[in-house]
Amino acid sequence: MIGRVTTLMTSQTTLAEIDNAAQRVANTQEQLSSGKKINQASDDPYGMGVVLNVQGQLGALTAYDRNITDGTAYAQAGQTAMSNISNIVQRVRELVVSGANGSNSSTQLSADASEVSQLVDAIKQEANTQYNGQYVFGGTSGNQPYTTTGSDAFQGNSGSSGSVTRLIGPNTTVQVNVDLSSVLGSGQTGGSGDGKLLDTLRTVLSDMNNGDTGALSKDLTKIDTNFSSLTTLQASLGATSDRLQLASSRVSDLNLADTQVLSNTQDADMAQTEINYSTEQVAYQAALKAGANIVQSSLMDFLK
Amino acid sequence: MTIPAYTGMETALRGLQAAQMAIDTTGQNISNANNANYTRQVVNLSETPDLSLPASSASGQTLQLGQGVDVASISRIRDQFLDIQYRAQNSSTSSSNTTTTLLTQAQGALAEPSSGGVSEQLTAFWNSWSDLANAPTSDSAKQNVVESATTLTDTFNSVVSQLSSLQSQAGTQLSSLTASNGPIQNDANQIATLNGQISKAMGAGQTPNDLLDKRDQLLDNLSQYGNVSVSDPGNGLLTVNFGGDTSTPLVNGASANSATSLALSTTSGGSVGALESLSGPSGQIGSYLSSLSSFASTLSGAVNALHTNPPFFTTSSTTNAQGSTTTTLAVNPTLAADASQIKATATSNTGANEVALGIAQLAGGTVDHNYSSFVSKVGSDLSNATSTQNTAQSLLTAIGNQRQSVSGVSLDEEMTNLIQYQRAYQASARVMTTIDSTLDQLINHTGTVGL
Repeated sequence: MIGRVTTLMTSQTTLAEIDNAAQRVANTQEQLSSGKKINQASDDPYGMGVVLNVQGQLGALTAYDRNITDGTAYAQAGQTAMSNISNIVQRVRELVVSGANGSNSSTQLSADASEVSQLVDAIKQEANTQYNGQYVFGGTSGNQPYTTTGSDAFQGNSGSSGSVTRLIGPNTTVQVNVDLSSVLGSGQTGGSGDGKLLDTLRTVLSDMNNGDTGALSKDLTKIDTNFSSLTTLQASLGATSDRLQLASSRVSDLNLADTQVLSNTQDADMAQTEINYSTEQVAYQAALKAGANIVQSSLMDFLK
Repeated sequence: MTIPAYTGMETALRGLQAAQMAIDTTGQNISNANNANYTRQVVNLSETPDLSLPASSASGQTLQLGQGVDVASISRIRDQFLDIQYRAQNSSTSSSNTTTTLLTQAQGALAEPSSGGVSEQLTAFWNSWSDLANAPTSDSAKQNVVESATTLTDTFNSVVSQLSSLQSQAGTQLSSLTASNGPIQNDANQIATLNGQISKAMGAGQTPNDLLDKRDQLLDNLSQYGNVSVSDPGNGLLTVNFGGDTSTPLVNGASANSATSLALSTTSGGSVGALESLSGPSGQIGSYLSSLSSFASTLSGAVNALHTNPPFFTTSSTTNAQGSTTTTLAVNPTLAADASQIKATATSNTGANEVALGIAQLAGGTVDHNYSSFVSKVGSDLSNATSTQNTAQSLLTAIGNQRQSVSGVSLDEEMTNLIQYQRAYQASARVMTTIDSTLDQLINHTGTVGL
């Protein structure tokens, strides 16, 4: 307990209190105007760490989202090409079926043969599909898989069967390409065929030119086998698209969750802050009023 | 038994004089009511030695007749223990003020959280690798990696250089405080001069209240720069030790030593202690610089481990004038000049992206946490410093109030004293009038019977 109260003491204390009250009002005002309760690291050092980490996560989520969009487009390009190839194979099959009947004239057969030859080139064209400058069936090699006309040889190297991946989550990658050469093969390069699609189509072509309807019936079985492996490959790329779609919705969910965490950590509770502000304003005005009244009355007022 | 005729007159005169002096002192107090460095003064009264009178015939005892009042001294009301507490608290308040000011600037240099801060740039850098992973052969993606990396290194280097210059700024402030024309030396010289004057006055039996107030004010002022300890041998020649140096006093009686000759350290207290700490390599700013150095090597280590040929980042370390190691980051000049040399893959398959993918996957890992915990550290240092500052300031106000309570002027009290002394003056004058009329009776009206 302080015994004596002196003039200077009262004024100094009042001044200090006014300063404190003004400081509190200014702090709350900053929160109100920025809408944030963490405006610099010292406002809440732990919260600041959370804010930075969550902001980093949100940045990464943006990248994942971009990667998913890009991967989806990449897979889509592959799917479109493969569905075109499968249409072409079906067309060849129709021609083979009608050829195997034995009712077609040799002129008709050679016309069919020239169509099949065109269709083989079209298949190779589809296999050379590019997305954003990259051959979608070239693996990681960067090479064009087939020459459009002439040799059916697969142009790839060790990287051609490599997986093209997209980062869709922390330490989660997804392969967005398939190895189409495992279905198409290298035709009849080197004399003997590999039994793959291009080889089969070349056989069909020569059988048509030869008018060998018996062989064409056998070719039908080969085409069906090749077609079924193409479908399997298509299904696997379809699964990739589904996976990417799931990942996309997961990224959106995470984005929402992280945004909420960020908001909870750094945004000011406006209602609470408004109330604090009013309270502090009242306190500040009271301090000012006390300051205005200070040393107003003293013993001198009552002495004559 | 005879009483000298004018004794009563003298007694009344002494009363008048004492009351007058008390009124003058009250006037002095009132004049200085708003002078924060003023110590209120009081008039100490004592009785004048008695006049011994011969014994009255009946009792045979000697009688002592009072002869009035004397002004023994005019003294200052001051509690030296409160002075010691005040100065100690003033040192720690000033120390935390200095620390808070510099740490606020350090935190400002980080510019977090904002788009100009390192952590946002870091995120953009990781994302540029993620884009390159999507298009491993794209030159524009590679250029984008270089751009984002350059922005990151520029931002990082500017944080390092701002902190480094803040550290040397602390060093400059420190040397200007202790310089031969600095404030510490200035105070020391004035205290030494006052010591000489006070000692002379005290030797002549005076109490030089104004000089004592002045010296106390200088000691208060000195205490903001560092810890002050004062020993008083009783003759007015104070010995003042500063900044925890017990072997060489700053002021030794009437002579002052050079402030630069003192052994000052981080434990010197006050702004000197705070600046010693902040400007040194083991202080807070020094530790920030070494944290940033370790961040730079973590970042470049992690990225270079994946992008090995050529290494993506180069670092260079120098020791600054304050003895701290500062590390700056740069994108390998070869890559900065020709972005196409950036490799998304280490294999010969140009479409592969394992390097870019690996670097993109560093996002949210050790490197990011390293930086965010650094920012948290800076924030919590400042937050601690600020709360220490608030506490120190409140304590200083409290002790200052206690000191004011003892030494400050209360106008109500002075008005009461004024009335009291005025009445005493009036009463003494009345005594004198009474004695005068008694003498008048004796001189002018005695023996005039029948005239």
